[in-house]
Amino acid sequence: MMTLSPVLLIAAPLLLAFLSILSKKVAPILLVVASLFNIAVLFFIPAGIVNIGGFDQPVGINLFVDNFSFYGLLAVNVLFAIVVILNLKNYPKYSTVLLVSLAALNGLLLTGDLFNLFVFLEIASISAYLITSSNKKPSSTFKYLVLGSLGSSLYLFGLIILYAMFGTLNLMDMIHQIDVANAPYTSLILPFFLMFAGIGVEAKLLPFNSWAKPIFEHSNTLSGPMIGSVYAATMSLVMARLITNLFAFEGTLLTVVTVLLVAGVVLGEVMAFSTKNIREILLYSSISQVSIAMLLFLNQIGWWGFFLVLVNAFSKLVLFFIINHAVKDSNDDSLHGLKGLFRKNIVVGVIFTIVSLSVAGLPLFVGFIIKLNYMTILAVQGQIWLVAIILLATVVEGIYFIRLLVKLWYKEEGEDLSVHFPLVYKLIFGAIALAILAFGLYSTPLTSVNTTLDSVGDQIEVIYNE
Amino acid sequence: MIQYAAIVLIVLGIYGLLTNRNVLKMIISINVMEVGLNLFIISVGYVTDGFAPILSSVHNSSALIYVDPLPQALVLTAIVIGVGTTALGLALAKNMYNKYHTLNLDEMRDE
Repeated sequence: MMTLSPVLLIAAPLLLAFLSILSKKVAPILLVVASLFNIAVLFFIPAGIVNIGGFDQPVGINLFVDNFSFYGLLAVNVLFAIVVILNLKNYPKYSTVLLVSLAALNGLLLTGDLFNLFVFLEIASISAYLITSSNKKPSSTFKYLVLGSLGSSLYLFGLIILYAMFGTLNLMDMIHQIDVANAPYTSLILPFFLMFAGIGVEAKLLPFNSWAKPIFEHSNTLSGPMIGSVYAATMSLVMARLITNLFAFEGTLLTVVTVLLVAGVVLGEVMAFSTKNIREILLYSSISQVSIAMLLFLNQIGWWGFFLVLVNAFSKLVLFFIINHAVKDSNDDSLHGLKGLFRKNIVVGVIFTIVSLSVAGLPLFVGFIIKLNYMTILAVQGQIWLVAIILLATVVEGIYFIRLLVKLWYKEEGEDLSVHFPLVYKLIFGAIALAILAFGLYSTPLTSVNTTLDSVGDQIEVIYNE
Repeated sequence: MIQYAAIVLIVLGIYGLLTNRNVLKMIISINVMEVGLNLFIISVGYVTDGFAPILSSVHNSSALIYVDPLPQALVLTAIVIGVGTTALGLALAKNMYNKYHTLNLDEMRDE
């Protein structure tokens, strides 16, 4: 079978980004071409390590493809393509920025080099600042820029300390060197925590996520789904990769990180429960879900954490799109202002209901299957208090999502809101809702997965035990 | 020793970010922090009595002690990224001033 290099996933959008500057008219077309091209290329890239420039690792930069990066890339590129296609007419000016961000997001998921990861993190962040500038709220974008710069600086600081200790920047070599040197974990606490905090800013983990509220409060159909779904999924997966392989938290640091994540789950749900702004509800729910996913990766529950990240990304894409589109038409994003939104939009209402009930983890939907399985594994592992906290969070989440749905479906008096949703919205989001329902009813494809999700450990065995 | 100075600069930058509400001062604080970070990275590759890592007619033996060139390459990348972020920050500052007629984050209120 024909194979293509994964380098194309980064190089093609980057090349088209430069070309797109030449013609404003062609730029949106190049963007769509790049996002569809990337999805097609994905099916031809082989698993394994690709060394760039002919330098074997650990000297050269390499890209690594395994199940984790492949399915992650597939999801991120599909999500990206959906956001791009649905916004094609509204935001043509952002084509070049979006092409750069596509290259960076693919790079983040592919790279096997920790400094390269920093570079992609910065490129992705700078693109994200520009994407959020479409909100027309420069002060909130500026806050994001300040925190983002601080976060990536912390990541770099931590990485350089690791480089000074082990003399390598390659992820696999770093893990191997740490293993060989048998370094006491206490000496790794500072660099690991700095790196965790650095990526935590982008992954919207508590307490590094104060930028998110002003950004999502004023988000639109481009910035909301792009930052809340595409970026969130990518950054969560990057964090998951590092947590699973490099950080392998233990001792005091494990306690600190667990407490931070649990606080993220609880506070996220409490904040979502207490706010009346729909986009804030979705944001805080995301923060809570990301924290749960990271807790799963922390406890080595790889596949279910992975599914949670992906399903949450697709769900938030639909929810942010529908709400941001409705807000654009009605100029009001309070629960009260959008009362009765779905009375005249029954199809969109049904889609929104299915997706939000899945996020809340109610039976019949895929969210429930994922929740049931990871809760069972956590219970078997003896993490009863964690199960209790997540259960409590589920109850709170169920309450505010049902309250939200009731408000959006019913209106006692006055005229119904007239918001028009294009047919393409109904088709794409309908397909996502159908998939959520289908996997909820027939979960065998999810429960019967028996391949390794993350092969970094196996690859290290192969390279260093020859 | 120079590493302590670099860390002091990083902390100074973070302190500036936390205490200032003026957009330009915050951008300068980010830059101070980045300069500190860059100095720290360079200091990691420093070797006492080491030569610049360039093979020349004078220093042409691999037996000589060279400083680590990798952190220098990293700093070069970090500087370029820092310039990009600063430029974007300044563009946003201009936008903010045009919109709110102030550079103080606390005074920016939507009409």
